[in-house]
Amino acid sequence: MASRKILVCCGTGCLANNSFDIYTRFLEKLKDTNTEVIPEIKATGCNGLCEKGPVVKILPDEISYFKVKAKDVDEIVSKTILKGEIIDRLLYFDTNSKKKIVSHKDASFYKHQHKIALRNIGEIDPKNIEDYKERNGFEALRKVLFEMTPDEVITEVEKSGLRGRGGAGFPTGSKWRTCSKYDNYPKYVVCNGDEGDPGAFMDRSIMEGDPNTVIEGMIICGYAINSNRGFLYIRDEYQLARENMQTAINNARKHGFLGKNILGSGFDFDLEIVRGGGAFVCGESSALMASIEGNVGEPRAKYIRSVEKGLWDKPTVLNNVETWANIPPIILNGAQWFKQIGTEKNSGTKVFSLVGKVKNTGLVEIPMGTTLRELVFDIGGGIIKDRPFKAAQTGGPSGGCIPAEYLDISLDFDNLSRIGSMMGSGGVIVMDDTTCMVELARYYMEFLSEESCGKCTTCREGINTMLNILNRITLGQGREEDIDLLISLSETIKDASLCGLGKTAPNPVMTTLKYFRDEYMEHIVDKRCPAGVCKNLTSYSIDPDTCIGCSACARKCPVNAIEGELKKPHVIHKDKCIKCGTCFTVCPSGAVKIGGGLIESYNK
Amino acid sequence: MKVIINNIEYEGLPGETLMELAKRNKVNIPNLCHKEGFEGQGRCRLCMVEAREGNKTKIVSACVYPIHDGLEVNTDSEKIRAMRKNIILLLLLKTPNNEYIKKLAEEYDVKAPERYMDFSINENCILCGLCVKACEKMGTSAISLVNRGTGKKVSTPFDDPSKDCIGCGACAQVCPTNAITMTEANGVRTIWNKEFKMVQCSICNKHYTTEEALDFIESRLGNEEEKVCDTCRKKIISEKFKESYKNIFGQP
Repeated sequence: MASRKILVCCGTGCLANNSFDIYTRFLEKLKDTNTEVIPEIKATGCNGLCEKGPVVKILPDEISYFKVKAKDVDEIVSKTILKGEIIDRLLYFDTNSKKKIVSHKDASFYKHQHKIALRNIGEIDPKNIEDYKERNGFEALRKVLFEMTPDEVITEVEKSGLRGRGGAGFPTGSKWRTCSKYDNYPKYVVCNGDEGDPGAFMDRSIMEGDPNTVIEGMIICGYAINSNRGFLYIRDEYQLARENMQTAINNARKHGFLGKNILGSGFDFDLEIVRGGGAFVCGESSALMASIEGNVGEPRAKYIRSVEKGLWDKPTVLNNVETWANIPPIILNGAQWFKQIGTEKNSGTKVFSLVGKVKNTGLVEIPMGTTLRELVFDIGGGIIKDRPFKAAQTGGPSGGCIPAEYLDISLDFDNLSRIGSMMGSGGVIVMDDTTCMVELARYYMEFLSEESCGKCTTCREGINTMLNILNRITLGQGREEDIDLLISLSETIKDASLCGLGKTAPNPVMTTLKYFRDEYMEHIVDKRCPAGVCKNLTSYSIDPDTCIGCSACARKCPVNAIEGELKKPHVIHKDKCIKCGTCFTVCPSGAVKIGGGLIESYNK
Repeated sequence: MKVIINNIEYEGLPGETLMELAKRNKVNIPNLCHKEGFEGQGRCRLCMVEAREGNKTKIVSACVYPIHDGLEVNTDSEKIRAMRKNIILLLLLKTPNNEYIKKLAEEYDVKAPERYMDFSINENCILCGLCVKACEKMGTSAISLVNRGTGKKVSTPFDDPSKDCIGCGACAQVCPTNAITMTEANGVRTIWNKEFKMVQCSICNKHYTTEEALDFIESRLGNEEEKVCDTCRKKIISEKFKESYKNIFGQP
């Protein structure tokens, strides 16, 4: 039997659930255990299904355990490791097939995925360079240095059709090509690891779980454009990512993959990490470069592109973490292989972080062109409590809302921008009918007004003014003409703002206005929030005909505002009610109704 | 380099921005954060114009847009006019009591919906950044733009009196909206939370600059400066011109 491996997920989500205790417990336990072959124990990066973590995988048996606790370790060793028995309790329950599944590979969450950028994550110890090398690590670099000219490397990337995974989808190959043409040295290679969208953790997982692939991708680019120096800009909050990346850089130097005369090829390249200060806007390329230079993280007008004048005004290629992770497989397997995956103009895969009101939240990598429905229902397992799907927000705060009518849209750069949203870095937030779209738009405007760098008037003042208008609407002070002002300001902010942050900032408002205008009107005219989220515009009442008198609501009500005899209709005292919505959530018969706020409507 | 602005052709110089070309030819593109001698900043966004390149029209900010041959520009399309009004509206909401912005709003017929106007806001700064640029050009860099979003402001580090500030007042002089408070009383100038002892003009006795500013200039020039205020200096120069004129052309 091949040597056994126990892989304990030590990605951020699992670590937060004490997976490191599980890892150390395994180490201790196996030290004292008499087995013929002592299994190898590895702390790996994120397995994706964070919802069901901590995850423990046993190879080559292909047994995957979910929601493991440190106290389960003894049982796993005594039953599974020693006797080969499967512990039913720790298996994954597939909500789609309603079955328990032994190997995670058969679970619908993983079955539909196609891993390229995430290929090693969860399989290797990110701090161990040998693990990476075992899985063809640095083979692409070797191929490039000894078998390809820089021009051939760029051609290969061009042919693959790879588009920047950071959001805008600019063709990576043509970026490299343009940069390679400038004879202005030194040139720089930059990795954008300043992932800041709420609910997004794609780049984080790659940097934490497979830092070597990013390093390899960057060295290859350095060779292709004739640059000897690279920077990894990683946001300060990503401590584990910085640690693992630094370890990987040190190891790569020791093994001769970084530094002078790489692998005896005569090519020099080195990398350093720059810690971001925590400003969202520094994910914008020109602000990021200003920050690396030691200046305030403010964007500049990009009429002259970074490939010509970037970092310190020198030609610079900046790509996102996920883009870098795609480079080594493209070089090794060839452009043709990559081109077959995905759609014609959007080749390859995209990593999404699937969060919100979906059963299986986590990190997924799917071929471009997969539909939103497949992502939410097949992989995500559908909506929590099987409530109706209302919308999905893609592309983070600068993206837009996609309503249920577009569930069958295939996810790629072009389709998403066509319907007013964007790919962004790949965050997908799923919403059910308890989400208020006006409040959602208001939330994003609040986020952006705080994160705007404040350099240009339209972004700084425009977003803030839109936030004020939305605040008024959610408080019940909205007027119909506010909608016109919102639309007019959106246009101006979109057209006149300096950088991508401002240009895309109105998207959440514009898309919710486009697809959920009725909901805005209900807030403004009827003074009612149909989702029951805006407290000023909500009141709860019990429909006496539907109420079964179970008293669940009365027992759970935190302020004792509900009265009623058992098996008789209950009543909510509106003067005591604090509108927390608990009664609505706990009512088994759907008797609690959401009504409008008790504000007089605006009738002029 | 031929550039067409509003259907009229102009000759552009290499390296020029659209704003520089327009100013040189007295074509009006409204702006608040541009000043001759300073690089364009692209902050106020009032200088947005429509630029046509081939079949594509894009909206660009004139103060940072590099011109090129064949460029066609429209500074007054319907879209641009609407945009300009909205930008002025945003500035008016931020500085509802500022005379300069109020006048600008009047000029462009911008009226803010009453319910959004908060006259209790006593703000005059529109964050054009000219003061910071001026300070940088002086070689002092005592003030900078700090914080982000709506919390952004111009200040010295940690709002403390800055050791780099020489009290020259260049910042207050370039400010278009009179947002920087500089007071002078009893030979003391106060600006950016710092007090400066002023120097008197040796001719008219007026307090005209600060000791620090004079020291700064002397240290840069490497020689001692005459203590003469601007007005007197102008008088002296005009006298000298008069003398030279007399010497060349005789008594007028």
